[in-house]
Amino acid sequence: MAKQEGYVVVPLRTKPNSKSSHSVFMREHFIHLMDPNKPKGRTLFLLNVPPYVAEDSLNTVFSRAGSIQAVEFAVRPGKEETTKWYESTGETFSYARPFFIFKVAYIVFEKASSINKALALGSIDLFNTSGECIFKTGMELWHEEYDKNYLLEAYKAKVQIRKYMAGYDKRERAASEAAKSGKSDADGWVTVGNEGRNAGFKQKASLMGRLEQKVPTENKSKELKNFYTFQIRESKMQNIMEIRKKFEEDKRKIELLKQSRRFKPF
Amino acid sequence: MLKNKRKPGMFVRAPKKPSKNAEDSPAEDHSDQEQSTPSSDDGFDEPKPTPAKKDQTPTTKPKKNKFKQKDETKNVKPPTLEEMKELRDTQNLFHSNLFKLQVKEMLQELQLKSKYTDFIDSWLESFTAFTRQLKDGLMERTHLEVPLNISQKPTGFVFSKPTREPYLIGAVSTGTLLGPKIVVDVALEMPKESLHKDDYLNLRYDQKRALYLTYVTERMKESPNYAEDQFSFNYYANNPLKPVLELTPVAKQVTKHLQVRLFITAPLSSFKPGRFVPWNNNIRPSFFGDEWDEEEPLPSTQHYNANVLFDLTLSENQDYLEKAFKGRRNFQDGLLLLKVWLRQRGLDIGFSGFSAHILAAFIVYLNSHRILHQSSSSYQVARTVWNQLANTDWTKGISLAPAAIQTEELSKMATHYDVCFLDFTGQLNLCANVPLSVYQRVREEAKLAVDLLNDMKLNSFPLIFMQKCPLYSRVDNILKITNYSCVNQMLMLHSQPRLKYDYAKYGYPQLFQVLTELLQKGLAERVHSILPLETACTAWPVESKAPVIGKHIQLGLILQPDHAYEVLNKGPAANEDPEGAEEFRRFWGEKSNLRRFQDGSITEAVVWGTAQDAPSKKRLIVRQIVLHLLEHHLQLESKDVQYIAAELDQVYHLTPWFKVNKLKTKIPLDQDTDAEALSPHVIRCYDELARQLHGLNDLPLEIVSISGTSPVFRYCEPQPVLPQARMAEKYILANHVQRVVIQLGQSGKWPNELDALRALKLAFLIEIGEKLESQCHLKWLICIEGLLVLKQGYCFLIQLAHTKELALLKKKVTERGITTYVDNPESRSLERQHYILPKVSGALHSLHQTHSAYGPTVLLAKRWLATQLLDEGLWPEMATELLVAHLFQQRCAPQAIEAPQTGFIRFLQLLAHSDFNGELFLLNFNNSWQEQQIADLEHSYRSDRQSYPPLAVATSYDMQHAGRLWTSDESPSQRVLGHVTRLARHSLEIIETSIMSKDLRFVRPAQLFRASNEGYDLVIQLKPDLVPNTLSFDLGSPFVSFSQPNYLLPPAGADRLARIVEQLRSAYSDFAAFFYNPHGGKELAIVWRPPSVFAPKPFKVVELQACTPCDNGKVQVLKETLIEDFKLLLKDFYLRFATPEELKREQHEHQKPKRYFNASKQADESSTKPKKQNVQKDTEQEAPPKKKRLIKSSALKALN
Repeated sequence: MAKQEGYVVVPLRTKPNSKSSHSVFMREHFIHLMDPNKPKGRTLFLLNVPPYVAEDSLNTVFSRAGSIQAVEFAVRPGKEETTKWYESTGETFSYARPFFIFKVAYIVFEKASSINKALALGSIDLFNTSGECIFKTGMELWHEEYDKNYLLEAYKAKVQIRKYMAGYDKRERAASEAAKSGKSDADGWVTVGNEGRNAGFKQKASLMGRLEQKVPTENKSKELKNFYTFQIRESKMQNIMEIRKKFEEDKRKIELLKQSRRFKPF
Repeated sequence: MLKNKRKPGMFVRAPKKPSKNAEDSPAEDHSDQEQSTPSSDDGFDEPKPTPAKKDQTPTTKPKKNKFKQKDETKNVKPPTLEEMKELRDTQNLFHSNLFKLQVKEMLQELQLKSKYTDFIDSWLESFTAFTRQLKDGLMERTHLEVPLNISQKPTGFVFSKPTREPYLIGAVSTGTLLGPKIVVDVALEMPKESLHKDDYLNLRYDQKRALYLTYVTERMKESPNYAEDQFSFNYYANNPLKPVLELTPVAKQVTKHLQVRLFITAPLSSFKPGRFVPWNNNIRPSFFGDEWDEEEPLPSTQHYNANVLFDLTLSENQDYLEKAFKGRRNFQDGLLLLKVWLRQRGLDIGFSGFSAHILAAFIVYLNSHRILHQSSSSYQVARTVWNQLANTDWTKGISLAPAAIQTEELSKMATHYDVCFLDFTGQLNLCANVPLSVYQRVREEAKLAVDLLNDMKLNSFPLIFMQKCPLYSRVDNILKITNYSCVNQMLMLHSQPRLKYDYAKYGYPQLFQVLTELLQKGLAERVHSILPLETACTAWPVESKAPVIGKHIQLGLILQPDHAYEVLNKGPAANEDPEGAEEFRRFWGEKSNLRRFQDGSITEAVVWGTAQDAPSKKRLIVRQIVLHLLEHHLQLESKDVQYIAAELDQVYHLTPWFKVNKLKTKIPLDQDTDAEALSPHVIRCYDELARQLHGLNDLPLEIVSISGTSPVFRYCEPQPVLPQARMAEKYILANHVQRVVIQLGQSGKWPNELDALRALKLAFLIEIGEKLESQCHLKWLICIEGLLVLKQGYCFLIQLAHTKELALLKKKVTERGITTYVDNPESRSLERQHYILPKVSGALHSLHQTHSAYGPTVLLAKRWLATQLLDEGLWPEMATELLVAHLFQQRCAPQAIEAPQTGFIRFLQLLAHSDFNGELFLLNFNNSWQEQQIADLEHSYRSDRQSYPPLAVATSYDMQHAGRLWTSDESPSQRVLGHVTRLARHSLEIIETSIMSKDLRFVRPAQLFRASNEGYDLVIQLKPDLVPNTLSFDLGSPFVSFSQPNYLLPPAGADRLARIVEQLRSAYSDFAAFFYNPHGGKELAIVWRPPSVFAPKPFKVVELQACTPCDNGKVQVLKETLIEDFKLLLKDFYLRFATPEELKREQHEHQKPKRYFNASKQADESSTKPKKQNVQKDTEQEAPPKKKRLIKSSALKALN
C-alpha cells in the first residue's frame, strides 16, 4: 500500500476494472484544537474525495471497517470549514445543492479500532458485487433529481409546510414568551425583547450607525463654517488641493491608458 | 500688485501669452452661441475672468506660507499662477482634465518625428536639384505607360523644363501630416510655354499633364538618385483625370512609412481668365463623337472645369493656406484633430469624399471672418469648426476670396454645384465633387460631435476620435452594382449626355447621379440619405496601363424609421389630377394600381405588403422598392445587383425542418416565421395570464405586481418560442419556460426566518395554482423554483418576490451581536432576479419600442455568441442584451440603427475595439444617473479596478451593485473576453472585405455563425436523440455533419446540458475549459489547461485536487482519470469521446462519396433537406481562407 507524507493512498474505483482512478489520501484525523464533532482517535480524514461521492456512498464503503457515527465533508481542512459546507445546503424549501468540487471528508467511527481497519482497506470500491456503481450518475441521476427534488407534489408539500410552520410558530411563541417574562435563565442571562417595560433597542447596524452619527452631526450644526478668515482661507486651499488632486488622478489615468496604447487613432 | 500690473495689459491687446503653453493659452469659450457670432472675439472674452481668479493666488499666497510654518507636515505648495490658470481652464472648458489630457496625449502621438521632417526637407532639396537639370526636349517614345486612359500617342509631346521650383502642398505644407503612412504631396508646375492656348479644350490639358508626369517620371527613374525607389501611378481621389506619381523612397530612416506624391500643375495665367467658369463648356460633344443641336447652347461642364482649376489655382491656394498655418501650432493641431475625426468616419475617401483640404480652407475662412481667433487653442479650433459646419449652409455658397465677391455671382456659381465653397481666387469650388448627401452627413457628424462635447455625463473623447466608424457600418442597407455589362448599359442608355461631358466620361459620378436621382424619387421619405461608399483605388506600376475605374458603385442607404416600413405608396387621385396619376403610373410601372381607400378616395397606389406582415418582412420593403425601380427604369435584374440587407437575419428564423402546421394551436403561425415575430404571441399570452392572476378571487393577499423577466418579454429570445408546451402524465413538457415574478400586497405576518418564509411562499404559490385551476382552468405544477403554469401551449414559471427574503439573506450578526445587512452572492442574485431584472426588462422593452432594431440585433448577437460555443456560464446573456442596449443608447452616429444586420456589425465593432479594462458600460435609463454619481462610479472603477469583473456593465437600476451585478469574474472571464474580442475582430474582417470588395458577395451566414473546429483537444459527442435541436435556423455543428434532427420536448425547467456543464465547470475548471452551443449543440468541446497544470508538483494538502502520486514524492493530475470522471458523470448521455481530428477525418470520409455522385443523386438529395444543406456546408467549409483557421486555432490556444 502506497504511503505519502503520512497519508495512506488508496485508489477510489467506481467500477471493478477501471484502469485510471482517483487516489484518496487517508489518515487519522489529528489536530491540536479539538473539535467535538471530530473526536480524537475515532475520526478518519480523507483528502481528494471526488465531487460525485456523497456521504452515504462513503458510509456504505467504510461501514465494512466498523459502524460509523457520521460522515462529513468540507471544502478544505480547517476548523470552521465543515459548518461552511453545510451552511447553504441545510435549508429546506430552497434549490441550493451541495458543492460539486473535490473535497475532504471526515469519517467518525464509533470505535477507535475501526480506524486501522479502514486504513487497511486497500481501495475504496464504490461498486457492489455485481460490479455496478453504488451511486447513480448521468441520466439516471438527473431523472431522479428532477422527479424528487425539482418537482414537488402539491399535496405532500402542503403537509410538509404545515408541519414546518407549526414548528416555527411554536418556536416563535416560546421566544416571545421568554422575552416578555424577563426571567433569567440558568446562566443568568435575560432575554430582552422589543416589547414590554425593559425593551431594548434593536441591535441593528443601521440603527447603531445613526445613533453614533448623531453626536458629531449635532456638534457640527452648531459650528460656523464660513466665519473666520482662516476658515475661508482653508476652504479655498482645500478647493485648490481638490482640483490638483483631480488633475493628478486624471494624469494617472492617462498614464494607464497610454500604457495600453490607447492614443493611436489608426 | 501683480493684479495691477497685469490688468491694463489685458485690456489693451490680446494677452501675450507665454509661448510655453501656447497651445492652451487662451481661455476657451464654452458657449457655442458666442463662438458663432463673429462680433464677440472670444479669444479676449475669457481672459478677464482669469485674472479675477488669479486674485486668489496673491491673497492666499502669503497666508499659506504662514500656514506652512505652522504646520510643516501638511506641506501644501502654494500654486503658481500658471498652475492655477491651467487647472481652472481645464476645469471650466473641457468638463474634465481627462478630455484635455487625452487630446494632448493623442496629439503627441500624432506628432511627426523629426527624422521624417528632415527627410522631407532633404528630399525636396534633391528633387529641386533634379528638376533644375531637366532639359527641354521632345518625347519620342517612352517605355512607361501614360497614366491616362484617353491618351493620344505620346509622340510629339514637347517637354519644356519647369521654370518654378517644386513646392510642397497639402498636409505637409500646413504641418498636419498624419500617420501611419505619411503622404507628402509635392507639386511641380508645368511652365506656361508647354501649354498651348487651345489646350483648355477637350481634355487636351489633361493629356499634356499626364505626358508631363510620364516624362518627369521617366527621367526620375533614370536618375541614380531615385533608382532604388519604388515608382507607381495612382489616381488622386479616384479621379481618372488626375494621375499622380507615388514614389516610395527606400531611404532607411523612413522605409515604407513615407510616400511622396507628385502632382503636376500649371500656372493660373496659362489660360484666359474666365475660361473655366462653371457655366462654360470645355468638352465638346463632338469629342465623344456625339452630335449636338447647333441651336442649343452647349452644356456646361462645371465639374470638369473645377477639375482643371484645381491644378491652376493650386499654388495660389497653397500660399494662402501656408500663410495661415505657418507657425501656428494651434491651427495645425486643430486641423489634425479634425483630420482624425474625419478619417475615422471614412468621409474623406474617393471622388466624392469631403477631403481634409476643405477643412483646412474652412479654418482659414473662419479665421478671416473673425469667428476663429489667431490664438484659439487646438480644441477650440476643432470645436468651432464643428459648430460652424453644423450651423452654416454651404449650398448657397461661401467664399474665401479676399475681394468681396458679389452675392449674385456667388449664387450663380452655387447653382452649378450641390455644395459651393469658393477658394481664395474666387474661381474654384473646393467642394465641386462633394455630393449633397456627403456634405449633409459631414454636417450631421459635426453636430453630433458638438453634442457629445456638451454632454457632461460622457467621456466623449473615444467616441469622437478613437472609435473607428467606417461608413459601411453606419448605413442600414447597401446597394452594390459591380456587373460590368450592367454598368456599361446604364452609362450608355440612362446617363444624360450632359453628365457625360461634365464628368469627362468618368463612370462613377454618372452612375451616382443616375441612381441617387432615381432612388431619391422612388424612396422619398423612406430614406434619410443615400451615401456613396467608395474605396480608394490602388496604385499600379508605372510600366503598366492605367486601369479603368468607376465601373462599379456602392451606395449606402440610411433608412428613415418613420416611413421606411410603410406598405403603401399613394399617388394622386385619378380623377383630380390625371396628369399626375399618369406620371405616377409611368414611374412605378405595372406595380401601380387604381385603388379605392376607406376614406372614399380613388387613387393610384403601389402596395408592397400587408400591414400585418412580420417586422422582418417589412424591413425588406425598401429592398423590394429599390429592386423594382432598378428593373423598371434601368432594366437591371435582381441577379445583376447586390442589395445587402438582412442576409444574416436568417439565423433567428424558424428552422425549415420543423413543420409548424403539425402544431395544434389556435394562434395563426407561418412556416416562414422567426423569433422576432413569435415574441408578440408569447407576450399576448402572458398579458392574458397576468389579467387572470389579477382577477383571482379569495387570495389571502392581493397580487400587486406582475412582471415577466424572460428575454422573450423584451424581444430578446433568439430561439423561436412556439406554443408547443404540453402536459404529459405528471410532467409539463416545454423547451422554454418564461419566468414571471409577482409581488403580493403588504402584510406584517410574514415569518422572520428564511426557511419559514420560503415555506410560506411555496404554500402561497400552491394556493395560486389551485385557484388558477379552479377559476381559469389552467394546468399547473409546483416545483422548487416556483409555480409552473401551462397556458395556450406556453409554459410560465411564476415566482414570488418578497423583500423580507432579501433582507433575511443579507442578514448577518456580527461578533458584537449587532445585526447588519450585507450583500452576498446569493442575495445579489435574488435581488437581480426579483427586483432589478423586472425594471431593466421594462426599460429594454421600451427601448425596443423606440428602436425596433434593438430586439433583432440582440437576437443576432446572441445567436452569434451561441454558435461560437459560448453559453450562459461563459458569457451571460444579459451582458449581450445590455451591451447592445448600450450601442443603441450611445450616440455614436447621427442616426439610430435601423437594420439588425448593421446593429450586429456594430456589436462586433464594440466587442472588437472596446477597451474592456478601462471602460465601464453604463446604461443610464431615463437619465436617472446624476453627473456626480457617474463621476463617483468612474472614480471608484478606476481606482479599484480589481474589485470589478473583467467586463463591467451597470444600469441605473442597480446603483449599489454598479458594475458587479450582470457579470462576474467567471463570466465572462478575462480569457473568454479576449477570445470573444479576437473572434469579433476576425468576423468583422470577413464582413468588411466582403462588403468593400468589388468581386465578393456578402458573407453567407454560415461563414460567421459557425465556430471553427480548430483548437479543441477533446470532443464529447452526446447522444443525438437526448439533446433536442434548436428551433432556430441551424448552420451546423463545427464537429459533426448533420444528422436527423429531433424536436423532443424536455420536461420543463430541466436543462440537462446546461446543468451538467455547470457541474463540470465547478469541479474541473482548473483542468479544462468546456464549450458547447447552448442552442441545440450536441457536442461538448474541451480544451485542456496548459501542460503546467498537469506537470508533477510537490505534495501539498490544500492543492491535492484530482491528484495521483507519481515518482519521487510528487503528485500530478492525470488526464485519463479526468476523462474517466467525465464518462462516469455523463453516463448514458454521451455517445463517445473523440479528438477533433478524428471527427474531421470522418466528416470528410462521410462526405466524399456524396460529392462524386452529386450529379446522379441530385433529385434524391433535394428531397431530403438536411442532406442538401450538408453538401452546401462542406463546400462552404472549404471556402474560408487558410488564414481564418490559423487565427482561430491560435485564438483558442491563447485561451489557456
